[in-house]
Amino acid sequence: MATAAARPAVLLRRAAALKRGVAAACPEHVQLSRSFSAAHQAQSQSQRASATNPDYAIPNPSRPTHFGFETVTEAEKRERVAGVFTNVAESYDRMNDMMSFGWHRVWKDYFVSSLNPGFSPLTSGPDPRVPQHILDIAGGTGDIAFRMLHTAHAVNGNPDVRVTISDINPAMLSVGKQRSRTLPASQQAALSFVEANAEDLTKTKPLGMSLSPTTPTSPPVNNSTTATSSIPDNSIDLYTVAFGIRNFSNIPAALREAYRVLKPGGVFACLEFSKADKYPILNALYKEWSFRAIPLIGQLVAGDRDSYQYLVESIERFPSQEEFRDMIADAGFVVSGANGGYEDLTGGVAAIHKGMKPRDA
Amino acid sequence: MLPLSSPYPATAAARRTLVHHSISLLQSTGPFAATRSLSSSAGAPRPPRPLLSRARLCWTANGSGPAHHRFRAYHSYDHPAPAGPFNEAEEAILAAAYRQVPEHGFSPEALAIGAREAGYLDISTNLLADGPFSLIRWHLVKQREALAARKTVLFPDGATIDNKPVSVSAKVEALTWERLLGNVDIVGRWQEALAMMAQPSCVPASLKELATLADEILFLAGDVAVDSTWYTKRASLSAIYVGADLFMTTDQSPGFQHTHMFLRRRLTEATDVGNAAGSVREWISFTASAGINMLRSKGMRI
Repeated sequence: MATAAARPAVLLRRAAALKRGVAAACPEHVQLSRSFSAAHQAQSQSQRASATNPDYAIPNPSRPTHFGFETVTEAEKRERVAGVFTNVAESYDRMNDMMSFGWHRVWKDYFVSSLNPGFSPLTSGPDPRVPQHILDIAGGTGDIAFRMLHTAHAVNGNPDVRVTISDINPAMLSVGKQRSRTLPASQQAALSFVEANAEDLTKTKPLGMSLSPTTPTSPPVNNSTTATSSIPDNSIDLYTVAFGIRNFSNIPAALREAYRVLKPGGVFACLEFSKADKYPILNALYKEWSFRAIPLIGQLVAGDRDSYQYLVESIERFPSQEEFRDMIADAGFVVSGANGGYEDLTGGVAAIHKGMKPRDA
Repeated sequence: MLPLSSPYPATAAARRTLVHHSISLLQSTGPFAATRSLSSSAGAPRPPRPLLSRARLCWTANGSGPAHHRFRAYHSYDHPAPAGPFNEAEEAILAAAYRQVPEHGFSPEALAIGAREAGYLDISTNLLADGPFSLIRWHLVKQREALAARKTVLFPDGATIDNKPVSVSAKVEALTWERLLGNVDIVGRWQEALAMMAQPSCVPASLKELATLADEILFLAGDVAVDSTWYTKRASLSAIYVGADLFMTTDQSPGFQHTHMFLRRRLTEATDVGNAAGSVREWISFTASAGINMLRSKGMRI
């Protein structure tokens, strides 16, 4: 009888907890489902003309989104993410190494080598090497961009590959700029840095001389693409975003923008933390590490617990591999049929998603 | 509770094979018409290999293609065939790239040239999840799918050998040989491909494809076994196919006659071994039951 009497209390507590959970999760669910149906409609209306932007594609500063486990508006999230990365910019690399035991380098190396930028088949006749323009979004510190340049210029021997590093955060970009000075001159010449919001690449601001006045040797940006303040439609061969997309306020808008700037046949590639649900033991260890150790390391090494708490929570809130794959397909990309459109790394702790803009787009 | 005397095999796979069993009996011999209505509750007869709709092949709008339905190790009349592993854009790139294989091998070069010919960029080959292995898989899948069409050419209805209907084993041999001939165009590059298929990351996909091929051959040959030989036949055919496949890469004889003879010998051996195993099993089961009966006759409670 005692247990029977205790049960209603337990049930009540559970119901209350459930209600809290639903309330917390609700705004995002509403937004997600709306964006999916909107995308659906947009697709069924024959061609996805750029004139018919579904509403979610227009960033709305007052729309609710999430910041870690909190619910904030899109504008607020943008500010707070900027705050996080301004705080961590200096110690970003050291922290990455500590948090992932250096493994993030393996992921990034694999990501870049699997994309194989600058690769061209050896055919007879004129030089078959084709220029490529790579846009590295949220690439502030240059981790991906420098690897891209190395693979393209040194491994594949294609000096006509340019990389534009874009980041919303000038602090991260100037760290990247600083680091790029150790690169060979030819690679430095192929790099450009722009400050832009990935949800709206029509407004870009080249990382001005004002930020790095001591670099008269670095050549002026010599191409029309980055000299103007907009990244034009159909101009990019490869769009990459590594460990950045989960910080975006409006991911569908960013995906549509990626779709816009990519050439038909161009590739969207994303390296991001994901779900390791397929391996429960690994997942348990990983969750333990990320929720207990990482904020602590952040506190001790970078003196900033909150920023790292946010990093961990944002990873937790990021959609699963399949959901994100569907978001990419919703933006109009073709995803591979053979592997479900994504590739798990380290059991799904990170995942690579790729999509191609169709030719007849 | 399933009655013990249920005429249906317990596993879903075996049941579906039974459906195919009874339908193929229906096709060959009229009097089994009643069996069909027993085993297939779906009503109208379905075409044996439903055409895949464009929508399922091309994975765009909301990515509805369930990944777990993409492979099935048996034929079914009750469920539509799983979608192929390639979408429209991949088909275009791979078809163009495949034409480059004799010259460039199963390589990133072939893929990139194929992408260019199909009107895509060099970087577009990133769409293909497994790089050059996608090209190998393309070859395997397309050659396997071509077998169904060859079957009607090889064995038209009422085909006979020595006034007897073509036996299942003869059909298996002919179909396996037909599949091996599918490698002729790219046989110079096939060793590279086999090496790539043996890489750890590619082994599961390669084995699945091999199992599907063995199943396809036995299905097309009209094998209707639903007992444990369903597995042993597929396993032994897979092993024989791999052996003949390897043999073929070094075969210099005109028309690959040596490979054909090799294949025949292996198939004969498999039959012999199967017969021997069957005899041994029969002897063991007879001896065991005789022994038990003898013990019972002595009053032992067994």
